[in-house]
Amino acid sequence: MKQVFIILGLIAAILTTILAVLPLSNLAIFPAIAALIFGLIAFYLSKKAGYVKKIIQFTFLLTIISISITIYKAIFTKVEVENTEELLNKEVESKQEAIEELEDLDLEDINIE
Amino acid sequence: MINFTSSKTFIFFKMRIIFFLVFLTTISIKAQNNAVGKTEKLVFTASYNMSGVLNNIAEVTMETSEAKTSKATLLRLKCTAATYSKWDNFFKIRDLYESYVNPNNLKPYLHKRDVNEGRYYKAMKYTFDPKSNTVKSVQTKRNKPEENKNLTIHTGTKDIVSTIYSLRLIDFKNMPVGTKKTFTILFDREEMKGMFTYLGKETIPTAVGKKECYKLAIGSNQPDVLKGTNSNFLWLTADENKIPVYGKFKIPVGSGELKIKSVSGLKN
Repeated sequence: MKQVFIILGLIAAILTTILAVLPLSNLAIFPAIAALIFGLIAFYLSKKAGYVKKIIQFTFLLTIISISITIYKAIFTKVEVENTEELLNKEVESKQEAIEELEDLDLEDINIE
Repeated sequence: MINFTSSKTFIFFKMRIIFFLVFLTTISIKAQNNAVGKTEKLVFTASYNMSGVLNNIAEVTMETSEAKTSKATLLRLKCTAATYSKWDNFFKIRDLYESYVNPNNLKPYLHKRDVNEGRYYKAMKYTFDPKSNTVKSVQTKRNKPEENKNLTIHTGTKDIVSTIYSLRLIDFKNMPVGTKKTFTILFDREEMKGMFTYLGKETIPTAVGKKECYKLAIGSNQPDVLKGTNSNFLWLTADENKIPVYGKFKIPVGSGELKIKSVSGLKN
């Protein structure tokens, strides 16, 4: 039983780390909670058995580092759109091309009121 | 670097946003435009919500402007989608959708779509001939020859962008709650049926203040796009402008949201 919780805790901690470094870092909170719960259960069972494995401490350490990264990113990462020059140029070019094409169409006498 | 699994999810997510906006319309072609101005700009944030944890993914902009030719002045309806910078190395989206329409009834004459997502590129152009109900389409893909195809469409079929804007021409004031409407959209050179149900008025908080809105449930006959009509909703302001301020749609894990961020140049 103890081994199962150690493995589950470690998997959850690794998943937390992966999510924390990806742009989807906010979602790292879910495996982090799972890692802490599994880690605590594994720690309790190990203590009861008289020997706490280093891997459990490693699970906690990994989870705490990942949570710190997640919190840092949530607070300090600016949510903004960059590198839009290409898109802006395309918008201008596209309008010019469109007007040339519209000139060839048999349009009714339309005007904006 | 592109993660394949994430890319698929991202495309799916983006398609949902687009179709969600699209399936909101209606559709009397005779409807007069009293809602869409010629210098309007709406900015939205598209996000992914999982158990209350929000991830902002992209900025969606809907903008209008005049397009003058020697014979006429048309209305240019432009929609762009761009991922936030933190996503750009992971999966970059720079999409441009535009329609050149009759400013009085939003009937389309020309539609252009330029999809640039990660390594995927696709451009589509539809030239509408309303007299004969035909569309001349040109499709361009990366490293592939240009494909020309002539299509016959039904009366009232519109492209995706003019469909989104046409939604705002509907008279919800006199519409009984529970009213269902269907509409036809030309997308990827195929006509698709969409539908919405008017669910009544609801007041919601938004970034541009507390707004009384018309709430709509959206559905489609395309099972891959929007499943059912009870999990995808759109809120349009219950005023003369009828601008979309909030959208919510189901995706396999969690939900997607489209929230208004800023508004300018409204007609009324």
